[in-house]
Amino acid sequence: METTAQTTISRRDPAQVMRLSRLGSLHQCRLSFMRVLTRRMARENWSFARPKFDIDGNGVGVAVYTAAGPARTYSLIAFAHDLPPEMRSDRVIATAWDATFTLFDGVPTDADIERLSKNVPYQEAGRVNEKSLSVSRANRSVRLWAHFVDALSQGQQPDPAQVEAVGYLMRTTAVYGSGKLGAADREAIADRPELSTPFQAEMLSVFLTRAFVRDLVEHMARAKGGGNAVPLAPETARRLGIGNSTGLGMAPYIVNHPVLFNNWIMAREEAIARVRSVETASAEEAACFRRMLRRSELSAARWHSEHPAQIKKLASLHKDLEALTAWVAADDLLNDHPWDRLIRWSETALGLEGQELAASLILEPYGDLVDGLSDCMADANKDAFIIDGAMPIAQVRQLIEDSFAWALDLDWSARENCARAWYVSEEKLEPRMGERFDEPIAAYEQPLAPARDAAAAHAALAGWDGDEPIASFLLRHPEHRHTVRRAQMSRVAPYSEIRSNTISDRVLPVDMLRAKLSFFGATHFDPRSDRWVRICMYAGAPYPEDLTTANADLWVYPEADQ
Amino acid sequence: MSYALNEVEATAKRAARGAGYDWGLAEEAAKATRWLCAQGLDGAAVLAGLLEAGYAAELQSHVPQSLEGDWQAEAPLCPLATGAVLSDCAARLQVLTLAMGPVSRPAMILPFAAMAARQLGACVTVEGEGFQAVTDGIGLQCEGTLPETAAQLSIRAAGSLANANPCQTRAEPEEAAWAVLNRFAHKTYSPATEESRLLGAGAGLSDND
Repeated sequence: METTAQTTISRRDPAQVMRLSRLGSLHQCRLSFMRVLTRRMARENWSFARPKFDIDGNGVGVAVYTAAGPARTYSLIAFAHDLPPEMRSDRVIATAWDATFTLFDGVPTDADIERLSKNVPYQEAGRVNEKSLSVSRANRSVRLWAHFVDALSQGQQPDPAQVEAVGYLMRTTAVYGSGKLGAADREAIADRPELSTPFQAEMLSVFLTRAFVRDLVEHMARAKGGGNAVPLAPETARRLGIGNSTGLGMAPYIVNHPVLFNNWIMAREEAIARVRSVETASAEEAACFRRMLRRSELSAARWHSEHPAQIKKLASLHKDLEALTAWVAADDLLNDHPWDRLIRWSETALGLEGQELAASLILEPYGDLVDGLSDCMADANKDAFIIDGAMPIAQVRQLIEDSFAWALDLDWSARENCARAWYVSEEKLEPRMGERFDEPIAAYEQPLAPARDAAAAHAALAGWDGDEPIASFLLRHPEHRHTVRRAQMSRVAPYSEIRSNTISDRVLPVDMLRAKLSFFGATHFDPRSDRWVRICMYAGAPYPEDLTTANADLWVYPEADQ
Repeated sequence: MSYALNEVEATAKRAARGAGYDWGLAEEAAKATRWLCAQGLDGAAVLAGLLEAGYAAELQSHVPQSLEGDWQAEAPLCPLATGAVLSDCAARLQVLTLAMGPVSRPAMILPFAAMAARQLGACVTVEGEGFQAVTDGIGLQCEGTLPETAAQLSIRAAGSLANANPCQTRAEPEEAAWAVLNRFAHKTYSPATEESRLLGAGAGLSDND
């Protein structure tokens, strides 16, 4: 990664950052992919249109939303369905949804829409081509959807308490990109400036989906209430996000893309180090931080979960916010490296939720130091895959120790340390995690326990001459090849490895999901179990037609009057 | 049917694993198959033919028995495992010409020659009876026909790329070969049980509210 800013304070140690408990406490920040997208679209003055909205009174039909940037236009094609309630499921194993979508590269012709209408509604059972950049689906929030349609059709606005309790009218249950189902590969679009930051196509798809969902609920209210129906009040519409229901399948992603995940974490760590290195803050910078802290409190107050683990984390966050507010009230935040002082204090006084919130918040006043780092978050280093076979065995051993010293002495045969196994089910290829000692799954195990594998490779290397090249070892031990590759990758990717046991009897896959989703910019994490989480995206964001440079960035923090 | 290269890569990885290769070699197989498809060759067919040969069960009989002298084994060399060794030993090509054989599915050696070329920053030439292939790590130029088995290959850091194949962004594998890959890939999927359906994905609280 390029480093141009002067940093006197170094990045945090991977041993501290990469613990799963901390990764499971990450919060969105200036580098989140949704904010990168909305900032760019506003800066470049993108224009938006709805050239087609052909949906009947039962809510069945197709709509097209276009987003035109300086060089290219993208279109969300939305198919609306009338789904019987018993078919509604957020699981991968579902076969029908309330709405299905594809983000189209360009503006679709009628023939394109006709072709896609025979495929996109079937999701995994359909095929798209390289003109599709993503394929996704969404289900209604049953509770909120019915309430909205009823209220609006009778000329009433929905009950704010119900809006706050759910936060979205539809939640996506999968957003596929990068070649899935025949769509364009990431490599085919990665050199476009507007899509070079990771997941920009997917984030654009969700941004446009939110506009479609608002339009659809108003349409359904008009179909029901006729002349009595009223449009949704803009301030209510603005508070709605798009939900997302994410199962276990996303967790392996951050293990399977070590360099990419490193680049996300390292960009944020570099941003934190740069801001901590600021010697003196201006009055406006300090005021900006105070405003965002106040607005974070509002966001936290609206964050609900029924899951015991998250209820505990939220209680800790509320306590941390009180302590943080008190500390900030007693400090001018101007002198003696104010942000470094704040971070150091937070490490002694706050829980992980509060520490990571503070680390994200100090970045807010410093767009000039931080925002450019979003250019470093993609993985362009394809050669990191290639093993350096000439590397001496002693050096490989050292690299393994650097990332996994904590794992080498663990008794990996003890049941509690390897209780779980990750596998892929024959049934619609749903990723799952099971009990190694209770279910017949070990033979199907996916390589998602890098720490265990590192310990095994380290033990196998013990009898070898440290000066021998690693190629000699790999010729006889191909079973350790993936571990040696990861160890060598860690040279350029110090934050690539999770420093916790991903197969222990206490592992919480929701921590892995949250780590990834926080970089999307998600808020209000609501675990539904230890391996399944709901989130909210774009709550508070302007709708496409309202996007300006003034509202493109800080929308993620609610304002008091919203 | 037209497939994304990422689909080729994902399917090839699962297929190689399903055929019994360790994960690290399955990763190599995935990248290698993708690379062949990007060169306009049917990488899926090459991989399918190789997997059907069933070398993974006794892989040590299909890798060079010694890295000194010519690379040989009692049985035909597996191009995935041997290719990985070739990439690992890329630096040797600076000082010598590697001879190896017999090699099954020599087309599968080419992606590893490309990885060697990238490490060396120079073209690598792979030559066998009836064909000569040159790669600079990105592109490939191939004259003649690649056989199912090559009695002998010589590999050296030499050559230049005058007429590289145009790079492809999609793959159109032969259907029968694609079906073979999916058949092997299927071996990596766990049969669904009622318990795993309920617990494995962890949907937990109601997912329809």
